[in-house]
Amino acid sequence: MHIPDGFIPLGQCAIYYVILIIALYFAGKWARANLDEKRIPLLAVLAAGIFAIMSMNMPIPFGTSGHMVGGALVAIVFMAPEAAILVFTAVLLIQALFFGDGGITALGANVFNMAIVGGFVGLYTFKGLQGIIGKYPSAFVAAWLATLVAAVVAAIEMAIAGTFPLTVGIASMALYHAFIGIIEGVLTVIVLYALEKFRPDLLAWNRE
Amino acid sequence: MVDKMAIEQVRSLEFIASRDSIIHNLEGRVKLVAILLIILFTVFSDRLIVPIVLECFLLIVMYLAELSFKESFKRVLLLLPFGGFVIAFQPFIHPGNIIWQGPYSWLFITDTGLNWTVLLFARLLVCLTAIVILSSTSPMQEVVQSFRKLGMPRDLAMILTIMVRFLFIFVDELRDIRQSMTSRNFDPFNDKISYKWRVKQVGYSIAMMFLKAYEKGETIYLSMASRCFSDNSNLYHAKTIIGKSEYIYLAVIIAIIILLELLVLFYSGNLAYLGVSLSL
Repeated sequence: MHIPDGFIPLGQCAIYYVILIIALYFAGKWARANLDEKRIPLLAVLAAGIFAIMSMNMPIPFGTSGHMVGGALVAIVFMAPEAAILVFTAVLLIQALFFGDGGITALGANVFNMAIVGGFVGLYTFKGLQGIIGKYPSAFVAAWLATLVAAVVAAIEMAIAGTFPLTVGIASMALYHAFIGIIEGVLTVIVLYALEKFRPDLLAWNRE
Repeated sequence: MVDKMAIEQVRSLEFIASRDSIIHNLEGRVKLVAILLIILFTVFSDRLIVPIVLECFLLIVMYLAELSFKESFKRVLLLLPFGGFVIAFQPFIHPGNIIWQGPYSWLFITDTGLNWTVLLFARLLVCLTAIVILSSTSPMQEVVQSFRKLGMPRDLAMILTIMVRFLFIFVDELRDIRQSMTSRNFDPFNDKISYKWRVKQVGYSIAMMFLKAYEKGETIYLSMASRCFSDNSNLYHAKTIIGKSEYIYLAVIIAIIILLELLVLFYSGNLAYLGVSLSL
């Protein structure tokens, strides 16, 4: 899902960067209001942890493997997509600059997909469903849907860029990420369950 | 379970980046701006001459930085999969003049698709080579500090600075998890073990990592607060000077970019395929 450099024209990259700057402005405001001066060390170390978590591969049926993204997880833990935006901007910037995982010019698009779309879809799906099907099933659906929608948005961006036809792109990305999303959903539920068991105070839903 | 490549890469990168060479010794901001300029111009241009000349220039930089060509291109190859996967489809999916017809009516290669494939691959190669050079010649902390000096907002720059410091602690944690699992003969890719159980174990490891990260974040805040950290605090950055060698390095890159653009504008007809627009 990490779009590399050269796949999106510079003009379109600029639009995603503008979206990123606006998102970072609001995320910064949220962090200042909700995490006070604790925000910098907390989000920084959490970003380092998320970076490590993204290096943990898990086998997926049909002979492939994938890793957790965690956009929905961070948004649900803090009950704010802004947290996902701050954490993933840092993670994706380091990944692009040092590991070539996603492009520098495509950073805005990648943050848009994984943090903004992933965070918002994850959190609001969770909020919408938790009263109906319960916390953990809704966390599973939220993480699965966040992965799927983020991948579909990446396919749409590449179609707008002219790199990949819309229907083929959406079909292939949606199919692959529908499987990856299952693992994302299961792992998100396990992490939330463990946090509820050992440190329930960390979960924003217990403070609301 | 734990991506061994990622762990080894993080550990070895800092070691390689701390070496001594003409390129390593350049000021961080200059190295960062130079690589960003190369990437931006590569993505901007749709003529093959641009990525070819820039790749040649990057190979010279690699030589000056005393980097191993074999190791550097091994890294580039490892970074190719997602981009390479998308590129592999390009000859077959774009309309244009058919230059090869397969056994099925839907299987064909067009000239437009092939040109686009060549351009995308060349762009990707240059951008990845540039990133490999940047990450092999500049320690992470230096790059992050350069961002701050170039005007990155304070909060984001501080998050990046602290994140980079703690990245290595979590990489060590990952290595320990990997070792302890291996010592217990646990392999999440082992089909003989129940899939459900494997997912559960990986999930617990991720939960533990998340918890550790959160708790470490809180501890770090407390230790920073006890040392008078406040909302107005700033991290210390050593002052660095941009000298003659930095100006020369940047001037050479800017000159190459200007010359390439002039070449494309006025002499593209003399460059044959290298001067043709390859965009869709």
